[in-house]
Amino acid sequence: MLALALVVAACGDDTGGDTTTTAGVTTTEGETDTTAGETTTTGAEAMACEATIGVMGPFTGEVAFIGEVQLNWFNYALDTWNEEMGYDFQMVEADTQFDVAQSATLAQQLLDNPDVLGVVGPAGSDQVDAAGAVFEAGDPDLTVISPSSTRSGITAQYTGLFRTVPTDDDQGPTTADFMVEQGAQSVFIVDDQSSYSTGLADTTQDNLETADVTVTRESVSQDVTDFSALVGTIPDDTDFVYLPWQVAANGQIFANQMAEQGKEAVIFGSDGMDSDDFTQAGSYIAAFAPDIAAIEGSVSILEGYLEQYENTSTFGPPVWAAARVIFEAIDRVCQAGETPDRANVQAEVRNTDQTTSILGSPISFTEDGDLVEGTFFIFQIQEDGSKTLVQ
Amino acid sequence: MEFLLQQTVNGLTLGSVYALLALGYSMVYGVLKFLNFAHGEVYMFGAFAGYGVLTVLGGPTGLLVPVWLALTLMFVGAMVVSSGVGLALERFAYRPLRSASRLAPLISAIGASFFLQAAALLLFSANSRSYDAPTLIPIANGLTIGPINVWAVRVLVIVTAVVLMVLLTWWVRSSRAGKAVRAVSFDTEAAAMMGVDVDRVIVVTFLIGSALAGVGGVMVGLVFGRIFHFMGFIAGLKAFTAAVVGGIGSIPGAMLGGLLIGFAEAYTTAYISSTFQNLIVFGLLIAFLLIRPSGFLGRPELVKV
Amino acid sequence: MSNIGVDSWVAESAERDERYTGWAGPARRLLDRVPSGWKLLVFLAVAAVYPLLVPQAGVRIGITALLLAMLAIGLNTVVGWAGLLDLGYIAFYGFGAYFYAMVSSDQLSVHWPTWVSIPVVVAASALLGALLSLPSRRLVGDYLAIMTLFFAQVFLEVIVNFERLPGVDIDLTGGPNGIIGVEPWQLFGFSLNTFNRNFYLLLLLLGLLIAVLRNIDESRTGRAWRALREDTLAAAHMTTPVNRLKMLAFAVGAAIAGLTGTILGPVQVGVFPNNFQLLFLITIYAALILGGLGSIPGAVLGAVAVAFTPEILRNPGTAGWLFYVALAVLLVSLLRKRAMVASVFVGLAVFGYALRFTLLAIWDESILGAANDTFLSRLLDSWLLILGPAQDLASNYAFVLAVGGMLGVIVAKGWWRVALLVPTVYLAVFVWENKLALQPSVTRQLLFGGVLVVMMAVRPQGMLGTRRVEIT
Repeated sequence: MLALALVVAACGDDTGGDTTTTAGVTTTEGETDTTAGETTTTGAEAMACEATIGVMGPFTGEVAFIGEVQLNWFNYALDTWNEEMGYDFQMVEADTQFDVAQSATLAQQLLDNPDVLGVVGPAGSDQVDAAGAVFEAGDPDLTVISPSSTRSGITAQYTGLFRTVPTDDDQGPTTADFMVEQGAQSVFIVDDQSSYSTGLADTTQDNLETADVTVTRESVSQDVTDFSALVGTIPDDTDFVYLPWQVAANGQIFANQMAEQGKEAVIFGSDGMDSDDFTQAGSYIAAFAPDIAAIEGSVSILEGYLEQYENTSTFGPPVWAAARVIFEAIDRVCQAGETPDRANVQAEVRNTDQTTSILGSPISFTEDGDLVEGTFFIFQIQEDGSKTLVQ
Repeated sequence: MEFLLQQTVNGLTLGSVYALLALGYSMVYGVLKFLNFAHGEVYMFGAFAGYGVLTVLGGPTGLLVPVWLALTLMFVGAMVVSSGVGLALERFAYRPLRSASRLAPLISAIGASFFLQAAALLLFSANSRSYDAPTLIPIANGLTIGPINVWAVRVLVIVTAVVLMVLLTWWVRSSRAGKAVRAVSFDTEAAAMMGVDVDRVIVVTFLIGSALAGVGGVMVGLVFGRIFHFMGFIAGLKAFTAAVVGGIGSIPGAMLGGLLIGFAEAYTTAYISSTFQNLIVFGLLIAFLLIRPSGFLGRPELVKV
Repeated sequence: MSNIGVDSWVAESAERDERYTGWAGPARRLLDRVPSGWKLLVFLAVAAVYPLLVPQAGVRIGITALLLAMLAIGLNTVVGWAGLLDLGYIAFYGFGAYFYAMVSSDQLSVHWPTWVSIPVVVAASALLGALLSLPSRRLVGDYLAIMTLFFAQVFLEVIVNFERLPGVDIDLTGGPNGIIGVEPWQLFGFSLNTFNRNFYLLLLLLGLLIAVLRNIDESRTGRAWRALREDTLAAAHMTTPVNRLKMLAFAVGAAIAGLTGTILGPVQVGVFPNNFQLLFLITIYAALILGGLGSIPGAVLGAVAVAFTPEILRNPGTAGWLFYVALAVLLVSLLRKRAMVASVFVGLAVFGYALRFTLLAIWDESILGAANDTFLSRLLDSWLLILGPAQDLASNYAFVLAVGGMLGVIVAKGWWRVALLVPTVYLAVFVWENKLALQPSVTRQLLFGGVLVVMMAVRPQGMLGTRRVEIT
C-alpha cells in the first residue's frame, strides 16, 4: 500500500502532495525564478494571478526529437512570460511518448489537477484523439491547444480543442496546386504509414488526380532506414516525389539514395520535413509559417531561444504561439478582476485576436478552434541550405 | 537488367549490415544459449562513437586527416566503445544470471536496453546525427558495374563486411581461441572439464560480437546517414530475425541469414510492394521456419532424455 | 531434515519452518497457512476501496494496472505453466480489442449487444490461439518464439494497412487512425461508461479468472502442463497429449487476452495500433517476470508494480526522494561494516566541499547555477556544485564517469570499495541534480531499465517466484 500512498502523493491535488514541478527554475543562467520583486505592471492584479499550464508531448521515445524541441520552446515561452509580466505561472510536464494509452492517462491526470488551466499539446493526431475524448468527457472547459496536429476535423469533435497550425485541408491543395503550376505530369507519393502522413498523402493525391496528374502511391513504415529498393522503383519520368513525412532525417536519406541512383525527380516535403535535417538543394518544403528568422518581430525571440537551447525546428514556434495564447487569455481574465478558472480562460482564448504573432500572421480562432488565417508557404532549399520563399 | 542489378546491390548492402549484427547475436547465443536483446544498443553506441571520432577529426567538411585514415579511426573507435559496452553488459547484467531460468537474462537484457537508450538520449539529445557521407565521399565516386554506378561507400561496406566475415570464419576454424569458442558452444560442461576457461571464452565472444556490431553501426551511419538513440531497437529486431533464420548459434548461418533478409527486403520492395514489405518478409520467414524449423544452417537440437 | 515416516502435512510445515528464517519468518509462515481463497478475497476487498481514495487519474492508473494484471496471468498460463515462449501474445490482445471495437462502434455501423459480442470475441480469440499453436508442433524454444513474434508483427501490419490490401474495399480497422467511439459494456441495463465502473468490472473479472485458473492449475491439466514445461519429451513418452495441451494453453491465454482487449476499447473510447506495439509486450513480460514466473499472485503484484512505478517516477519531487533513498539503501547493502558507511559519508562531505572550494577558487561564482526547487536540492545546495554554464557538458562526463564508477564499485572489495564509492556517489548526486532531475521523462526510463537489471541480478526468480534451475 506504499504504492497507494505514493500515487496519492504523486497525483493528488487535494491531498496536498507536491505535484507541480517548477520549470521556471530549470534554466541554467544566473537569472533564476521570478521573485516577488517584480510585481509591478498594473495594480489591478495585485492579487496573485496564478495558473498552471500543462504541456503534453513525446519527450522520450522514438520521436523525442519533436517533443524535446516542443518542451524547450514551452519552457522558454514560460520563462520569458514570467519575467516579462512578473507572474509566476507554473508548468506540468506530461510525457506521452507518442503513445495513445499514455496520452489518455496523462489527460486524466491533467484534468484532475485543479490548478491546470490550459494544456499545450499533444503533438500527434492520434494522441489528440485519445486525450480529447478524456478531456471532453471530463471537462470540456479546459483549453487544449495542439501545436502540431494537422488532421482535419479534429477540432470540431472536441469542444476545448484548438490548434495553432493550419490543417491538412489547407496543405494538400496548396501542395497539389503548386505542383500542377510547375507543370508536373507524374508524381510519386510515399507516405510513412502514420496517420499524419496518410491523411496528407490522401488529400494531395486526390487534388492531383483531379488535375489529371498521374500519381504513383507507395508507403513505407517509419522504421525502415534503407529506401534504396523503393527509390529504384521510381519511374524515370517522374517530376515530383512527394514525401509527407514526420522524420526529416529519413527524407534526407531518401534524397541521397535518389542521387545515388540517378533519379532526377524533385522532392517536395510536407511541413514535417521542414527541419535542419533535410537540406537537399533544389527541393521544396511546405511550412505553416514563413521562416521566422525572416520575420522582424520574431528574430529576437528566436535568438533568445537559441541562446539557451542548441537546436530548434519547425515544431517549435507554434508551441510559443499556443503558450502565449493561453498566457494572454489568463492575463486578460486577471486584468478584468476575476480569478482565472478553466471556463473564463477558455472564453478569453476564443476572444484571442492577435494582430501579429511569432508565425508572422494574425492569430484568431474559428468556432471549432482552427486558425482563421492559417496558410501554408512553400520554400525552396538552396545550395547553402537556406530556404527561399517561393509562394 | 539494370533494375535487378541495382536492387541486388541494395540487398547486398543491407544484408551485409544485418549479417554483422546477426553474428553478434549468434555467437552469444552459441556460448550462452541466450538472446542478447541489448545488442542493438551496443551497435547504436558504436555508431555514435564513430560520429564522435569524426567530429574530433574536424567533421565531414573540415577533415584534418585523409579520408581513409578518418574512416579507419572511426571504425576502430566504434569497435572500442562497442566492445566496452558489450563487456560491461556481460560482466554486470548477464554473468550473475548464468544459472537462473532462461527468462531472467532476457528481462535483464531488456532493462539494460532501456537504460542504454535513455543514457543515449541524455548524452546525445533526441536529435539524429548524420555522418554526411556524401560530403566525405562524393556520390559520384564509385564503381561502375555494367549499367549502374555503385557508390564507393556501398562498396566499402560490402567489402569490409566480407573481409570481416572471412577473418572471423578463419579465426573460429583455425585458432585455439576459436576452437575454444566452438567447444563451449557445443557443450559447455564438457569444454569446462577439458580445461577450457569458459568465462574467458564468453568474454572473448562478447568482445568480438560487440566489435562487429560497432563496425555495423559505423557502416549504417555511412550508407544511410541517420543515427539516433532508438536505432538499435529496430535494427536489433531485424538482425535477431536474421540470426534465427540462419540457424541460431551458427556463424555461417548468421551471415547467410543476414544476406537473405537483406535481399528479401530489397526484392520485395522492388517487385511487389513497399507498403507490405515487412508483412511479406515476415510471411516468407514464417513459411520458411515451418519447413525448416531449426533455421537454414542450424543444428536440429539433440535432446537427451 | 529427517522427514521420513511423517505424514505430508507435518513434513510440509516442517519444511516451511526451515525455509522461512529471519525476522519475517513467523509472518510468512502464517501467510502460507492461510488458504489462497481468503488471500484473494482480501486483495479484492482492498483493491475495491482504492477508487474511493484517489482522484480519477489514480483510478485510470489502477485500470491500467488491472489490464496489465489480466494480461500477465494470461501470459503466465502460456509461458509460466506450459513453458511455451510466446512473443506474439500482444496480437491476441489486439485481436480482441479490434474485434470488439468493430462490432461496437460506428466503424462498420454494427452494434452487437454485449452479451453477444463478448462471448463471440472470447471464443474467436481462443480459436486464434489454437491456430497459432499449430506451428508449435514442429518448432520449439526460441524458434517458436520467433514465429510468434512474426505473427505479432504481421498482425500489426495488417491492421495498419488493411485498406491497402489488394482487393479490399471496406475500411475495417481504421488504418493508422484506429477506431474511435467504442461503446462501453452494457450489462443488465447498466452501462459501464465510467472509470469506476470499469475498474470494478476488471476487478471482478480478475478475481473470477484467478479462481478459475487456480482450479485448472491444481487439476490434471495443470499437472500435465507442468510435466510439459519441465520435460516435453518425457511427458510425451508418458502418453501426455502434448500437442493438445499446447493448443489448450495457447487458447486459454489468447482467450484471456481477448477478453482484456474488449475492455481496453471502452476505457480508452477507442483502439489504436499504437496500443499493441512490441514495447507493450515487453512491459507484460517485465511484469510477469518481476513478479515471478509461474505464480499468479506474482503476476498480479508484478503488474501493479510495473504500472505504478513509472507514474510515481513522473513527479520529480517523488522521484528525487526515491533516488536518494535508493542510494542510501544501496550504500548500506554494499558495505559490510558500519565504520565503512560512516567513512563514506565523511569522505563525501570532505570531497564535496574540497571540490567546491577548489573550483570556486579557480573560476569563481559565475559557474554556479540555481538549485532545483525540491526540498533535498535546496538542502544540498551549499555542498553540491550546481553548475550554470557548462552544466550540460560537465553532466555528460559526470554521467559516464558515475556509471563506470558504479560498475567499479561492484567489482571492488573492502576499503577499495569505500574509496571508490566516495567520488562515485558524489558524481551520482551531481548528475542527478544537474541533469536527471531536469528531465524527468528520460530519467524515468533510465531508472526503470536500471531497476530491471538490478532486480534480475539480485533476485532472478522475481518477487514471488520459486528458484528454478534449468537442466539442459
